[in-house]
Amino acid sequence: MSRLALSLRINGVTHDVLTEPHRTLLDVLRDDLGLTGTKENCLEAECGVCTILLDGRAVNSCILLAAQCQGREIVTIEGLARAGVFVPLQQAFVDHGAVQCGYCIPGMILAAQAYLDECPEPTDDGIREALAGNLCRCTGYQKITDAVTAAARGLARARTTQ
Amino acid sequence: MSFEYHEPTSIADAVALGARFGEAGRFLAGGTDLIIQMRRGRVAPRHVLSLHRVTGLDRIEVDGAVRLGALVTHRAIEQCPHFQGPLGALVEGAEVIGGHQIRNVATVGGNIVNASPAADVVPVLLALNATVTCLGPDGERTLPLGGFLSGPGQTARRPGELLTSIRFDRLPPRSATAFLKAGRRKAMEIAVVCVAVRLTLDAARERCQEARIALGAVAPTTMRAGAAERALEGQPLTDEILRRAGRLAAGECAPIDDVRASARYRRLLVETLVPRALRRCLDRIGRAA
Repeated sequence: MSRLALSLRINGVTHDVLTEPHRTLLDVLRDDLGLTGTKENCLEAECGVCTILLDGRAVNSCILLAAQCQGREIVTIEGLARAGVFVPLQQAFVDHGAVQCGYCIPGMILAAQAYLDECPEPTDDGIREALAGNLCRCTGYQKITDAVTAAARGLARARTTQ
Repeated sequence: MSFEYHEPTSIADAVALGARFGEAGRFLAGGTDLIIQMRRGRVAPRHVLSLHRVTGLDRIEVDGAVRLGALVTHRAIEQCPHFQGPLGALVEGAEVIGGHQIRNVATVGGNIVNASPAADVVPVLLALNATVTCLGPDGERTLPLGGFLSGPGQTARRPGELLTSIRFDRLPPRSATAFLKAGRRKAMEIAVVCVAVRLTLDAARERCQEARIALGAVAPTTMRAGAAERALEGQPLTDEILRRAGRLAAGECAPIDDVRASARYRRLLVETLVPRALRRCLDRIGRAA
């Protein structure tokens, strides 16, 4: 089978990979590059654990061919913290005890981050709707939405004091 | 999944590749249906033609008419300022599909070509009398959306033909649209029934000048409720007339029993949702006045 030489820009670093056309970005992230923060579960774009940011937008990497990602900016959960320091949204998840088993959390955080980037003053309904594509098998939704709400308030305060 | 991957960069290149591969090729837009169908083994194209580098297919153009490029995403429809007023049903249809991750990539062209009878934006486009334009080896052709949809998963699209755009007229004054969807939960749900309505009142704002009612998930394709539309046109829009339109629509649809709902329940939903959507249009026209 033919292989494609791809140059993928992930978390600010360029990775050259050689892969078959059918392999998804999720496959390449986890199996080729060892970036296992992006989780694998339903493989049908229902559960959201494989969420990554593609050019700043939340997408499901399980239905995205790696080949479609050339020349685009990919951010995974590994790329959010800078020099080991959490972004405010990640810190809010810790502070609110929003993490139970943790499996959904990378996808939750990236979906929420994309939403807050787009909508800095979200409503409670807006947050719930933005996370509709992310399932939590522990059903810990309340603390997750609490964390996102708190992060949004904190970011708003930081903006006004700047 | 095993296939050759192609990345055309222009509409002309995409159509040339489509013509070359015919039935062995599939155009890939958002991938929210195609990749899943391929993984399930339901389709196995030998050539996948990704459209994401084709320029000019993701534009929304609004002048006397509205033209949606086939690659316009559901999120782009939700966020388009032109669709906040009388065309608001487009937003109402687009924002109930999947979650943000799906709507960021799923395209309106893909939603039409996938031809699910339960598609959400398709009934809105049908209520707007939309046409679709396809480009293929034999040139370009434009068809009414209703004629393009031929069955579950089936359209009049020929092998190798690319759906390039969707077009509909802007609405005259005294018009509104509404979209309602019934599902078992609010998000990430396939419609049990969905209803899209477009209503225009006469100059005196007393009678119905034109009504279009489209129903989803109650027939092999998204369908127009013609008898209900005719019962409204020229009539004063009393509650009794609106309820009669609901009964007629329930009578002319052809739902099935499946895992989501019984045919009987679907008819009851149609009977209720059609007058509710019409009332919503009346409210919206009244508020805009």
